[in-house]
Amino acid sequence: MDGVALLNLAVTGLVQGLLIGLAALAVSLCFAIARFPNAATGDFMTLGAYAGVAVQGWTGSLLTGAAAGVAVVAAVSLASYGLVFRHFRGRSLVAPLIASIGLAFLLRSVLTFLVGFDQQSFRVPVARALVFGGVRIRPMDLWLMAFSVATLAVVLAVLFLTPVGRRMRAVADNPELARASGIRSRPVMITLWTLIGVCSAVGGVMLGLRTVVVPEMGWNILLPAFAAAVLGGVGNPAGAVLAGIGLGLAEALSTPLVGFTYQSSIAFVVLILTLVLRPQGLLGRAEAVR
Amino acid sequence: MSGYFIAVGTIGGIYALLALGLNLQYGYTGLINFGVVALYAIGAYTSALLSMHGMPFAAAMASGALLAAACAWPLGVICLRLRDDYLAIVTLAFAEIVRTVIISEDWLTAGPRGLPGIPRPFASMAPDDAGVAYLCLVAAAVACAMAVTAGLVRSPFGRLIRAIRDDEDAVRSIGKSPARSKLVVFMIGAGMTGFAGALYAHYLTYISPDQFVPLLTFYVWIAVIMGGAGRIGGALAGAALLTVFLEGSRFLRDALPFIPEVQMASLRLAMIGLALILFTIYRPEGLLGRPAR
Repeated sequence: MDGVALLNLAVTGLVQGLLIGLAALAVSLCFAIARFPNAATGDFMTLGAYAGVAVQGWTGSLLTGAAAGVAVVAAVSLASYGLVFRHFRGRSLVAPLIASIGLAFLLRSVLTFLVGFDQQSFRVPVARALVFGGVRIRPMDLWLMAFSVATLAVVLAVLFLTPVGRRMRAVADNPELARASGIRSRPVMITLWTLIGVCSAVGGVMLGLRTVVVPEMGWNILLPAFAAAVLGGVGNPAGAVLAGIGLGLAEALSTPLVGFTYQSSIAFVVLILTLVLRPQGLLGRAEAVR
Repeated sequence: MSGYFIAVGTIGGIYALLALGLNLQYGYTGLINFGVVALYAIGAYTSALLSMHGMPFAAAMASGALLAAACAWPLGVICLRLRDDYLAIVTLAFAEIVRTVIISEDWLTAGPRGLPGIPRPFASMAPDDAGVAYLCLVAAAVACAMAVTAGLVRSPFGRLIRAIRDDEDAVRSIGKSPARSKLVVFMIGAGMTGFAGALYAHYLTYISPDQFVPLLTFYVWIAVIMGGAGRIGGALAGAALLTVFLEGSRFLRDALPFIPEVQMASLRLAMIGLALILFTIYRPEGLLGRPAR
């Protein structure tokens, strides 16, 4: 396998990794602050893609479509908190986990009821790939990389550089102490679910642009997202992003070895190895895991 | 007409067996098994392939159950010393992998084409009698599973696993190892699930990867949740409700012919999703359970 082909795979892997990183960030934020794995993340992404396609269809602008996708999913995410997940405060994580599965099914079924099962796609301007010494990069991939990095940067900036982000991290670290210190949970949760919505929507639009828009698209990326969140470390959203990028690269670079069908099993292998060797992930804390 | 009820009863019995297996794992021990369909598929394919190569039915079905239990072992060893949700994630991932393997390794499983011509027990009887005989077989399996569950639950081991479900740290403080007990329960439940898969394969005589989708796992979950986790009667009631719902939606389609089948599928999925949400928020103990709070 020569260097140029490897670099091409690496480019694909990087874009895929940023995509997984976005999804993993959404999962990890929920894991850390609301303390349960949100199985509806995938279907939030699917919803974002469908909304984006629909609005692009009406307005002709991809940017407007993407913005609409973000707005719709942020709203649905907040509604999910208000109508569903808010009820589980103080209860074990089984309940919100199962409810999130139910939410995932509900979102997907509403979409297929209204729009059907046929695949849809964004209208992407045809553009020639840029070639750097044999390495081909599509302009769309460059845009996707830029947007995903920007989204990740904004979300992580909110988390680490703003007062509400500091409160979110306090809740993630020790919810009882946070409450005793007077941190009100409602602004934290509203910010949390908005950020989750934004990440999921951008990820969904990105996934739709790279492939096609089908009802199962988000569910299919749920497993790599969970694997990245676990690998990065429980309660460590930045770690989840890095792990996602690594996982994307690993999936792409392993394709010559394991073939296309088994690409998704890389995530499973990573998950198992992480749980066997270092359950708290690369950057997480041990006591959060047992 | 009675042939229809026998068929519905047989499928309902298989769902009851699935619900009993999950009830043992989740209802009594608190294990979040999202890989039910994978264990079901392993039981189905194992039994089908072995009997198509000449193994007698009883041995083939038992092998299906045993292989499912054996597959549960590594998953359990890895996850059961960790938080509850890790088992959920890993079993969900495992279900995806199993389905990928079934589809890709078509030298073994015939891939997406599926396996037709699975031998059926009681083939020498008249068709109506054979149907009744199969129903009796399924009913016997359900009765066995109920007996095993009841025996397990009433034993000291049963008190231990319920204690694990309610407070693992307390169990550890008296010197017991929760992980080992959880593993045993996980494997027994997996064996029941695998056996249900074997029964399904020999009943339908044709299996394909399309029949083993993740949604099936959550059919079983809603059955256990609706009926009431942690009660044998709950698992049976939930399976009965599920069967009525699935068959009823078929009749609804006949009553409302203007709704196309694809939309019925969406409607069915929506109702399962809504049921999962509403039951976990408002009635987590299920219809037959006692309110815990």
